[in-house]
Amino acid sequence: MSATLEFVRASRWYGQVIALNDVTTAIGPGVTGLLGPNGAGKSTFLKLAAGQLAPSQGEVKMLGKPAWGSPEIFHRVGLCPEADAFWEQLTGLQFLVGLLRLTGYDEAECRQRAENALHQVALLDAKDRKIGGYSKGMRQRVKLAQALAHEPEVLLLDEPVSGMDPVNRRRVVELVRRLGREGKTVVVSSHILHEVEAMTRRVLLIHNGRILAEGDVREIRDLMDEHPHTVALRARDTRALARAVVGLPHVISLTFGAEGEWLTVQTAKPDELYGSLAEAAEQAGVTEMYSPDENLESVFRYLVAG
Amino acid sequence: MPIYEQTYRKHEGRAPLRKLRFWPITREALRLILARRLFLVLLFVAWIPFLARVIQVYVVTRFPEAGRILPVDGRLFGEVLLQQWLWMLVITIFGGAGLIANDLRTGAILVYLSRPLTRRDYVLGKLGVLMLLNLSVTLVPGLLLYLIALALAPDQFLKRDLAWIGPAIVLQSAVMSLVMSLVGLAVSSLSRSARVAGIGFFAVVMGLEVARGILDAMYRRPETALISFRASLQSLAAALFGLSERAVSLPWFYPAALLAVVALGCLLVLRSRVRAVEIVQ
Repeated sequence: MSATLEFVRASRWYGQVIALNDVTTAIGPGVTGLLGPNGAGKSTFLKLAAGQLAPSQGEVKMLGKPAWGSPEIFHRVGLCPEADAFWEQLTGLQFLVGLLRLTGYDEAECRQRAENALHQVALLDAKDRKIGGYSKGMRQRVKLAQALAHEPEVLLLDEPVSGMDPVNRRRVVELVRRLGREGKTVVVSSHILHEVEAMTRRVLLIHNGRILAEGDVREIRDLMDEHPHTVALRARDTRALARAVVGLPHVISLTFGAEGEWLTVQTAKPDELYGSLAEAAEQAGVTEMYSPDENLESVFRYLVAG
Repeated sequence: MPIYEQTYRKHEGRAPLRKLRFWPITREALRLILARRLFLVLLFVAWIPFLARVIQVYVVTRFPEAGRILPVDGRLFGEVLLQQWLWMLVITIFGGAGLIANDLRTGAILVYLSRPLTRRDYVLGKLGVLMLLNLSVTLVPGLLLYLIALALAPDQFLKRDLAWIGPAIVLQSAVMSLVMSLVGLAVSSLSRSARVAGIGFFAVVMGLEVARGILDAMYRRPETALISFRASLQSLAAALFGLSERAVSLPWFYPAALLAVVALGCLLVLRSRVRAVEIVQ
């Protein structure tokens, strides 16, 4: 994977507060999810990547150039900030055309590109309405449109689907996935993990300004095997199931759920648990089984707690 | 799957690359400002003194004896420009207070600076707005009046020893516009509210004016001009156009140096305040 965006021991602090701490990572084409809770350092990461902040130490390179102090990279980079960034008295079309002028296109091309971008985020019908009258979801989409309008190779999207209704959320998720398939480098930050999960399996987990882990979700799952893993089982006879499971060497704890229908097993070795369960599950009449750990949110929780 | 070590290193700063791509910013901001009908009225009103001066020149050329009451010579142009100072003040408040403050409030500065332009381009773009507006009520009427004077009274003005008038108008207008624009822009960058920035700009300029008036009344010394923008500009005009007022009898280089320091200070404020990301420490 050739790196579009590189952080080499990059840190950023604000006075006494360390927002990003000695981060080294390389991001290439495709969609990469930047995951972490509020205040984890995701926005600082994106602002460093977008050259809006200088690293306090280390190096951040975008498209082979230092991100800070290389405004020419913005011909090839699109940034969708988390916070609103509008002139509300302008219409959506005027807003995009104004920004495209700054990128250097002529009037006709500005208009054409603006309309294309608005079409991609399903805002073409509202192009002549003032942004001040847009809903939160529409504002998110017009922000996304301005990042897309000059067809950049790299897109930095800070919480792009925040505040969108389910239909537009799905549309934007599809759009992001398509951009990734087209070979663009898309970095999407979110603190809502299923949002990122819907867009990509390649994630970068960030917490307290540190990169906790990076890679495919499955690699993170491998890492998790060293951590307690939870499996929930619904059975006719949960007590019999508990008796069968409690003696297994890798089982750490058992918890009965409400009304005794559910048994939650915590184990250090989930694969061995699944292997040992077959007979016991048949005897106890297990009707349903799932692992909350399949969800990225619990992966994240494990890693943060670990 | 590595879990990274946490270490620290000393800060290594790097100077940003600069490029000049300010014109779209100027054009867009001007378009928005000039779309306000009240602002157009203001610009029109700011030209009324010019019209009065045209009438004065016309009357004096027709009736030379009127020149005893309303003299028409090189000083006329300096007086016209100084009269326009008040309009520059109003234009800077209504046209410039929100130029940066609004971008800081709405976060639009971030989308500006995520385009291929530098902070310097951004400041130049915004400065260009105020410069053009201020020059439109100083340089343009000043030069136009000079051309009218040349046309109406060529015998009086088309002389080699009065050839300084044109360059003097350009220089005085440029200094007045630049200083007022920079101060207006710097004050705008200190607030997220256009209204607060406008009031702040007015308070700074008029506050210094009042302070100067008080000190002048107490001490009757020309140095008091140095704490007033208007008096400092008057001092420059006195040197350029041969005006003779007691309050502006300072050597021109004192107010010139002071205005240069003010301009530099404004640039430093802008450098510190114009950022895509506001850093609160």
